[in-house]
Amino acid sequence: MDKKRKKNFATFMFPSLLVLVIVLAIPMVYSLVVSFFDTSLKHRGLGNFTGLQNYIAALTDKYFMSSAATTFVFTIGVVMLEFLLGLGIALLLNTNVRGKNIYFSIIIIPMMITPVAVGLTWRLLLHSELGIVNYVLDLIGLTGKAWLADSKLALGTVMFIDVWQNVSYMVLVLQAGLVSLPMEPYEAAKVDGSSALQSFRYLTIPMMAPAFMTVLLMRAISALKTYDLIYVLTKGGPGISTEVISYHIYQEAFRDLELGSASAMSYLLVLVIIPIAVCFVKISKQKN
Amino acid sequence: MKKMVAALLICSLTASMLVAGCGSSESTGSTENGGDTGSTGSSGSREINILMEEVPDTTIVQNQIAAFEEETGIKVNIETIGYSSMHEKLLTQMIGATNAYDVVVVDCYWVGEFVTAGWLEDLGPYIEKSGFDTSQYVDSMMDMVGQVDGITYMIPFYNYMMSLIYRTDIFEDETLRTAYQTEFGMELTMPEDLEGYVELCKWITAQNYDYSGVVMQGARPDPTVVEWANYLFSCGGDFYDADGKVAINSEEAVKALDLYIDCMTNAAPEGSKNFNLDEAFNVFAQGDAFSFISYNWMIPKLDNENESSVTGLSELIPIPNGSSLNAGWGWGIPTNAPDKDSAWEFIQWIESAEVTKERALEGGSPTRADVMNDPDVLEKWPYLETVCEIMEDSKMFPIMEDATQLVEVLGRELSLAVAGDQTSQEALDNVSAEMADMQ
Repeated sequence: MDKKRKKNFATFMFPSLLVLVIVLAIPMVYSLVVSFFDTSLKHRGLGNFTGLQNYIAALTDKYFMSSAATTFVFTIGVVMLEFLLGLGIALLLNTNVRGKNIYFSIIIIPMMITPVAVGLTWRLLLHSELGIVNYVLDLIGLTGKAWLADSKLALGTVMFIDVWQNVSYMVLVLQAGLVSLPMEPYEAAKVDGSSALQSFRYLTIPMMAPAFMTVLLMRAISALKTYDLIYVLTKGGPGISTEVISYHIYQEAFRDLELGSASAMSYLLVLVIIPIAVCFVKISKQKN
Repeated sequence: MKKMVAALLICSLTASMLVAGCGSSESTGSTENGGDTGSTGSSGSREINILMEEVPDTTIVQNQIAAFEEETGIKVNIETIGYSSMHEKLLTQMIGATNAYDVVVVDCYWVGEFVTAGWLEDLGPYIEKSGFDTSQYVDSMMDMVGQVDGITYMIPFYNYMMSLIYRTDIFEDETLRTAYQTEFGMELTMPEDLEGYVELCKWITAQNYDYSGVVMQGARPDPTVVEWANYLFSCGGDFYDADGKVAINSEEAVKALDLYIDCMTNAAPEGSKNFNLDEAFNVFAQGDAFSFISYNWMIPKLDNENESSVTGLSELIPIPNGSSLNAGWGWGIPTNAPDKDSAWEFIQWIESAEVTKERALEGGSPTRADVMNDPDVLEKWPYLETVCEIMEDSKMFPIMEDATQLVEVLGRELSLAVAGDQTSQEALDNVSAEMADMQ
């Protein structure tokens, strides 16, 4: 890169970098500092330095650990379901089925709805007494359930709603990947007598691996941060059956006003995400 | 290494979004006339912003502000929002150097927190200067959403004292009366104590009619806490004893939670465990429940044929042999409000006898004794006479700095007990342990 190009590069990058520093780097550093203090929104200033106390308190808090476990189950469940469903739908849409553009348009609608609206709508649909889901089940002779009020069903119900909304994201990305695959290897495999399953196993999966990794990584990180749906649908209840880590941190920060411990909890979550992210990136590199 | 840096960046982004981003997702309330932060228009005209909850009293106020604007020339922007998002929305304004709102409405259990933090203006000088008469307010309202330690921080706005609301027509159902008479050898009437009421609800539900004995609001955290507080007070329990010691795990409190769980599990629709006040109201208003413990201002809504299919059939009574949870909202001026004088001008206008009476006639829930006892108001809303009587024996949520935290903890533990994950004693022992560190 010559001198002039370097200068232009720096000039054009500066505004973006400045914005990133202001909205990303400064809050990040500030929240890291706050995590070592007993900062409360009830009082001005940082409060007293407490060292690692907020981190130790979080790790010995049974409700924080329970929310971490719930988050783990939720993330693994929704990401795997969305991936498998999304891949299946994307493969179907990649065939010469008639009207596939119409199906595609319909399938991506849920992705365009804000999670709060999705939550409110499903809360109405799943209302145990006045909701249409139980009404329809009743019409066909099945017993309706208290989908969001039964601690054994609530997490599964929230996961179903998350899958309903986000499977379209998987379809969108995977369909784009499938469309961009070269046709030559498939034609060669066909000439060699390869079955559709063999083509999928030995051509599609290896060639789509980077897309798989990207979509799994992005959805896993997004699922780990799930907050909106829980807030609208259950507020973590019944009991603590749907209390995920983001909702727990929200309670700590904005209900209990304990910003110090909420920041520590956020950074503990980051410590969990780092190995996952590194792992995904390494796998992606190997596949490439 | 580059991959590692990329991964770290993604993770850091997640962390900062978690801390900074999860506080405002449901702030989707409708906004009237914007709600910008400027209090003075470009032409120099005065303008105030108010944050209010989406409830009937707010709607009535919205209909009244045109008269105020015409009378004073002060433009009023009312921003409405769902209750669950209100606390954090206010919080972010209160801690800043300046506030987007000139007037705020304060829920009774935020009072301790707001006053301790120094977020509310002392209204004493304004009251003195303007000669505003606060003696007309019901004492319990002034104690709850008016004064703290002798200083007036708020002017009471509306009360939401809870009580028992039931369907009168169900007691007149001959089939039900006969069945009850046959089974118990006595006439079907409202029992005289809370245990009897729970048993009646269970019995009605067991009859398998198209309505249940009760609908409840068991969602975390606020709905279940305020509902259970009525059971707590009615069983003779309280949050603190007379010496100021934590009493939330007393024998009476455990009995109250046992009764609450019994009613929720065996009398209420199963969905009640996650219902908020609107959902419980809708079930009752659709004629699907015999009774519910709710806010007194539900009566005008239940008598409104646009909102209810049981108009004229609901009656508000005291909780059998019990005490209700008294609660309310007050008007306050933030210490960092941009235009405190205009804010006070609005408060004294909206709380004047004439305007509050007009609001009460429209179905608002008054806090002034003169309005509650006004013949015109009582003629239209006779239930207010009962409200006055119930209010005398009612109790309120403790005014304390950590009240919001108490609601969170109590809501979580009650919900765990109702879900069957722990006993009443275990739940309340947990609350007691956490209350020991609260102020």
